Amino acid sequence: MKKLMTGAAAIAVAAAMTPAAFAGGHKSYTIGVSNTVQGNGWREQMICAMRAQALVEGDVANLIVAHRNTDSAGQLEDINNLIEAGVDAIVLNPSNPDALNSALDAAMAQDIVVVAVDAGVTAEGAYILSNNQEEYAYLGAKWLFEQLGGSGDVVYMRGIAGVSADTDRDNGFKRALAEFSGINVVHEVFTGWQQDQGKQQMFDFLATGIPFDGVWTSGIDNVIVDAFVESGAPLVPIVGADNAGFVQYLTTVDGLEGAAVTNPGSVGGAGIALAVDILNGEAPDSTTVLVDPVLWENKTADGRATIEGAQNPNLDPEWPVSVTVPGWTDYSMEEIIACEGPGDS
Amino acid sequence: MTEALRKHAWTMGLLALLVVLLAATKLIQPSFGGPGLESLARAALPFAFATAGMAVVVIVGGIDLSVASMMAVCAVTAATLMERMAGVPAIFIVLAVGLGMGLLNGALIVVTRVPDIVVTLAMLFVWEGVALLILETPGGATADWVEDSIRGPFLFGWLPKAFLIIALVTAAIWIPIRRSKLGLSIYATGSDEMAAFRSGVAVGRTKIAAYGICGLFCGFGGLSLAALTGIGEPVPGPYLLASVAAVVLGGVVLGGGRGGLLGPIIAVFILRIIRTILTLMAVDPNVTTIIEGTIMVAVVMLGTAATLRSARR
Repeated sequence: MKKLMTGAAAIAVAAAMTPAAFAGGHKSYTIGVSNTVQGNGWREQMICAMRAQALVEGDVANLIVAHRNTDSAGQLEDINNLIEAGVDAIVLNPSNPDALNSALDAAMAQDIVVVAVDAGVTAEGAYILSNNQEEYAYLGAKWLFEQLGGSGDVVYMRGIAGVSADTDRDNGFKRALAEFSGINVVHEVFTGWQQDQGKQQMFDFLATGIPFDGVWTSGIDNVIVDAFVESGAPLVPIVGADNAGFVQYLTTVDGLEGAAVTNPGSVGGAGIALAVDILNGEAPDSTTVLVDPVLWENKTADGRATIEGAQNPNLDPEWPVSVTVPGWTDYSMEEIIACEGPGDS
Repeated sequence: MTEALRKHAWTMGLLALLVVLLAATKLIQPSFGGPGLESLARAALPFAFATAGMAVVVIVGGIDLSVASMMAVCAVTAATLMERMAGVPAIFIVLAVGLGMGLLNGALIVVTRVPDIVVTLAMLFVWEGVALLILETPGGATADWVEDSIRGPFLFGWLPKAFLIIALVTAAIWIPIRRSKLGLSIYATGSDEMAAFRSGVAVGRTKIAAYGICGLFCGFGGLSLAALTGIGEPVPGPYLLASVAAVVLGGVVLGGGRGGLLGPIIAVFILRIIRTILTLMAVDPNVTTIIEGTIMVAVVMLGTAATLRSARR
């Protein structure tokens, strides 16, 4: 009896699943996506950019998104499943540069194009399309040090220890620091790229009473402004990323001097565009493509105008406001907000 | 007799479900074959060991919330050691570390009399910190032969090495224990601790041993993580909840005393193949977890209903 019922249930499950499988068809390219952080504004924008770009690329018939919170072993499983699904290309945000090579090598052995976005992978032959994180940190830090007249004490709020984006940013920060001998780092801390953690750390610094003249943050930015405002401390120049919340503060918080450095999550869309280019035989000369960041400051009229123009009330406050990567992505603002890929509707 | 039949029926039902799901996979993706089974078995590897460990402590009437953290400790230990020394002694050290952590978990529960859920929750954080102390960021290396040992097929071209490792390791550890006095004590303690104590079972020692076995399985789990990725990652993966899910789906009663290891391990494969099917079908990732959870609850409910009915007859 038990066997029968379980069997019946299983067949019902299988039957419910099969029709959808054939519905997609195989018009042209199927692209697989693998990502291991779910529920973070930046990553969600990345996924939506991938969907929107796949939709506007006429050649992409289907986009399979493996998007969940997991470790490298889980990402290996997802990539192997994507290979089984017969994708033509895999665009991934790698959890680790070295851990995925077995699956990526297996993919490339079957002529599947591999594009890593946001961070690099060491697998030979994989393409890497990433925001230039070293330049990101250098731009912001240099602007901050210039605001301080080349001398002063700064708080240095990093991301996650050992993550390649953090290491690259550290190199950029140190490069700027080397150019300004009068600047001292009074606090260096890892926020874990967590809003609540970064805010508490800033409360702690303010409570110690050790004075500082500026703050550089690795993208945990609007809550740092909140910490100043809530504790009643006088604002100092703050550098953050182009997250919608912080960008809004740059134009609305009285007395806040600051700059946002772009770090578009839409680099995911650029990764899809690159994968399609490669599939169409238009591979770039180098396997590594870096997207350079731009700095928006609120001290000049020009800068303020740029910031005002970048704002969009329809955007999720945790999304970066730079929703496109010029030269790479082709979708419209509406299309990325709709977050629909080929096959959805 | 009915009891034996019931246990058997559940496992056979799971096996039938797995076969049906594999057939469904083949239907959805006609090219699914040897390599697909191989990557399925490899994906199941860390989950299978976490689940085997969890099953043993659940059978003894406890729960171990620190399995994922212990696996992380073992993975970073393996990756750190193998950078410096030969693979074989490193493997033995890692297994000893796993066993030691498990025994410590068990001893704390028995000696302090603090509920197991509290002790192992605390140890979840302790082992997580220990893993970060051993290796601050993902890194280290594993011996090439260790990575090769779980890759590819064995003998016939369709039997994955990873599957063989799961079967051999679990059988080698569990079958001798199951047939010994310790096995009997584990089941006795799980079904009724007081009765077991009055019958002369050394309840405390039995519990410590069960947690030790769980730690040993976590050692294998950590080794398989290192072998899969070629590095050690100090941050624990999603193995805690997945192992509890597989244990329940596998027919082990959460109160203890009933169930085995075969059911939960088949359940691991069922949960992995469902993930594969959902990926093959390009189901919205936000919906996949809902489907996974629903299928699990549905199977357990159906199974329970069927068991109850056959028990009544």
